[in-house]
Amino acid sequence: MLGPADWVIWMLGTLFEAAVVVCALHRKSLRRYFFLNLYMLFSVFVSLGRFQVLLHSGRSSVEYRYFYFYSDALLTIVLYFALISLYLLVFQELHVERYLRMGAVLLLAGTAWFSYAVVSQSSHRMLTHFAFELSQNLYFVGMVLTYVLWGAILKLRETRALLVQLVLSLGVYFSTFAASYAMSNLRPDLFSHITYLFPIVACLLPLSWAYGFWRVAEDARIVPARLAVVPR
Amino acid sequence: MSRKLTVILPALLVLVGAMSLKTIATAHGNGQIVIANGPAPVPTPWNNGPAPVPTPWKNGPAPVPTPWK
Repeated sequence: MLGPADWVIWMLGTLFEAAVVVCALHRKSLRRYFFLNLYMLFSVFVSLGRFQVLLHSGRSSVEYRYFYFYSDALLTIVLYFALISLYLLVFQELHVERYLRMGAVLLLAGTAWFSYAVVSQSSHRMLTHFAFELSQNLYFVGMVLTYVLWGAILKLRETRALLVQLVLSLGVYFSTFAASYAMSNLRPDLFSHITYLFPIVACLLPLSWAYGFWRVAEDARIVPARLAVVPR
Repeated sequence: MSRKLTVILPALLVLVGAMSLKTIATAHGNGQIVIANGPAPVPTPWNNGPAPVPTPWKNGPAPVPTPWK
């Protein structure tokens, strides 16, 4: 049974996700950040779908589980491509798009292969577990890629404020996910205390992106290298 | 050829790093799953629930033997 806090967080998150697309449309950034907006648009539709399934079947129903985990795998793949599109923007002046795309496809294929190798040894519900395992593994791959991208931003002295904000928001999102994941595995007794942590962060990511699209001008500049402590 | 190899190497490094991180995070775990896209409530994970196997993944009514034993 869902409590009022669950409903409020869910509805707010969905509203913020829709706000990202609206703000990007308003600032005419939809094409430039196409995959980011596609991810948010998918998230809105998935939220509506989950809401529908939850109302009809209940939270512990098989239908909700299937819908939830399959849609989660789909969203994670779109999020992966959104992250790769940020790579393309950061590295666009180096003209290495072809190699980035090739690397992204290889990495996705490698993650899929690894996920298959894991579930093929231990599961009779192969497809379901594969979707689930792929989703989890892509999260970790996304986290590592975000940190690598942040390193590249510092190294290349990237100054586009909107791009920096989008990447940093994603970094906080993935880091919180990893922290809550590790904590729930290492200390399962603490899990009940962080139940709301990840849904709240899932609300903050679209809020941050929406704020970025709404308030930060495309030509605004920042010096992220100053944020890093570099020993001289 | 060498350029293609320089694409493969970082991809492999990222994959190995990510899977190592996941292994470290789940080394002492009980299979608890909290990963989710979006703020929707997470259903009970498959491995913690007694949910019946849905029809498409059932291969007949016979009991499934334990593999590899």
